[in-house]
Amino acid sequence: MSGEAFSFNLAETVVKWLDVGIFVLDKNFEVQLWNNFMAHHSGRAADEVVGKNLFEAFPDLPKPWFTKKVNTVFLLNNFAFISWENRPFLFRFAHNRPITGGADHMYQNCMLLPLKAEQGKPEAVCVMVFDATDTAIAQNLLKEALEAISEISNRDGLTGIYNRRYLENRLSSEFDRTRRYGGTFSMVLFDLDFFKKVNDTYGHLAGDKVLVEIAARMKAQLRTSDVLGRYGGEEFILILPETPREGAHLFADRLREMIELEPVIYDNITIPVTVSMGVTEHQADMPSYTSMTHQSDLALYASKAAGRNRVTCYDPSLEKLAADKH
Amino acid sequence: MSLTALSNDQRDALQELTNIAMGQAGASLATLLDEFVDLSVPRIRVVEVVDLPPVLADLVGKTNLVSAVRQSFQGYLRGEAIIIFGEPGCQALADLMGFEGELGESGENELLLDVANVLSGACLGGMMEQIRNFTETNGPAELSFSMPLVMARQVMAEQLIDPQKVQWSHALLLEVNFTIKNRDFIAHLTMLMPEDGIEKIRGIIDEFIAAF
Repeated sequence: MSGEAFSFNLAETVVKWLDVGIFVLDKNFEVQLWNNFMAHHSGRAADEVVGKNLFEAFPDLPKPWFTKKVNTVFLLNNFAFISWENRPFLFRFAHNRPITGGADHMYQNCMLLPLKAEQGKPEAVCVMVFDATDTAIAQNLLKEALEAISEISNRDGLTGIYNRRYLENRLSSEFDRTRRYGGTFSMVLFDLDFFKKVNDTYGHLAGDKVLVEIAARMKAQLRTSDVLGRYGGEEFILILPETPREGAHLFADRLREMIELEPVIYDNITIPVTVSMGVTEHQADMPSYTSMTHQSDLALYASKAAGRNRVTCYDPSLEKLAADKH
Repeated sequence: MSLTALSNDQRDALQELTNIAMGQAGASLATLLDEFVDLSVPRIRVVEVVDLPPVLADLVGKTNLVSAVRQSFQGYLRGEAIIIFGEPGCQALADLMGFEGELGESGENELLLDVANVLSGACLGGMMEQIRNFTETNGPAELSFSMPLVMARQVMAEQLIDPQKVQWSHALLLEVNFTIKNRDFIAHLTMLMPEDGIEKIRGIIDEFIAAF
């Protein structure tokens, strides 16, 4: 070995100072080697740890799982890996990024290597601990950014409630879920009465203010599982999971009344607002969620035809009404 | 016929080499899972990477969802192993490992990584062992492996690999069927390599054929 030319053992010194955690366990989980990375991050010097049982020296380690992992390496004579994505760390070490951190511990990737003579069974297992904190932080930031983008793409820019894209996805998934697992849900389609007149009389800024205010007031009344979104223009959809028609009707009427009783104030002008609503409930024989939008549309039309500012539940007789209209 | 296609003799010899290796993979899997594992004789072929998406789709089924783990290896041979699991296989594995109720995404990923790692390690490691037994050409037949990563969960087989984004030109495709506890599932072990890697294997096979 060329290492003999030095006054120190080359391989030993490199292992000692390598910026990767290295330790070696025998079959009884007795520590045989403990390099400086491990010593410095754990605060336990090699002479405190070597010769001791790993789990006695570090009682916080996940013993059953790590025992299985190491034993597999002995048994299969094959390397093994541990990823921070599945288990953030093996040892709870602090990381070296106290300022740019965002993580309260060092993320670790580990590699387990069987150690053996040329031919034969493994006599020890070498564990390498890699600091993966930078990768983990970058990946977590990316994940947050992607979540934020997906959140933004689901929102209506003016009112901040969900947009049509999200509503359609949600209706479709709610429909599939109900078909698969049973239960029910209702949807309410509603429309601000004479909204064009609001815009024409008070201007578009006033119209926007009305949309924003109505959306906010409704949102404040929802249960956490309810979904409110702007379907387009002055049209909104409310999805009410686990709610039969009667419940949806009562709830919709309460919202209708709330809006009627409190006009929207814009620039010291009082703007009275009313809404017309159509309610429908999921039925087992519906071919797709568009049956629900169709039915709630008919019910909404019936509310308008009957004089507005009211709630109508879908009824098959409405189909005839609509057919007569054409 | 493509430049790197194998002759029948070569393919038989490679089949022989991988049979022994896969026998070890089966034994290792059985130990890992604590269940008897029955492995089929691997089917093997060489395909160009551009042909890989349709070939994979044919193997797995066009509309079937797959999950896949990738792991690179270097040393005697250099390349990337992609281990593809059909969706029922993932579930069967989870059941076998005795995870009660919800396994959770990270637990399921860990399981996939462990099984994939054992498969590629045993298969490629076993091949290296066979090679060491009859030749020292090209130096010691040793490989090192890097950390396996889940590359996709529940995607269509055809979308798994985008040949445009792959730096390898050829793939050694090894198809293995597993039966565990009367449950069938299939894993496909795909080894992507540069052309010179395939050439190297061809050279090794010829030596193997000459030696026996």
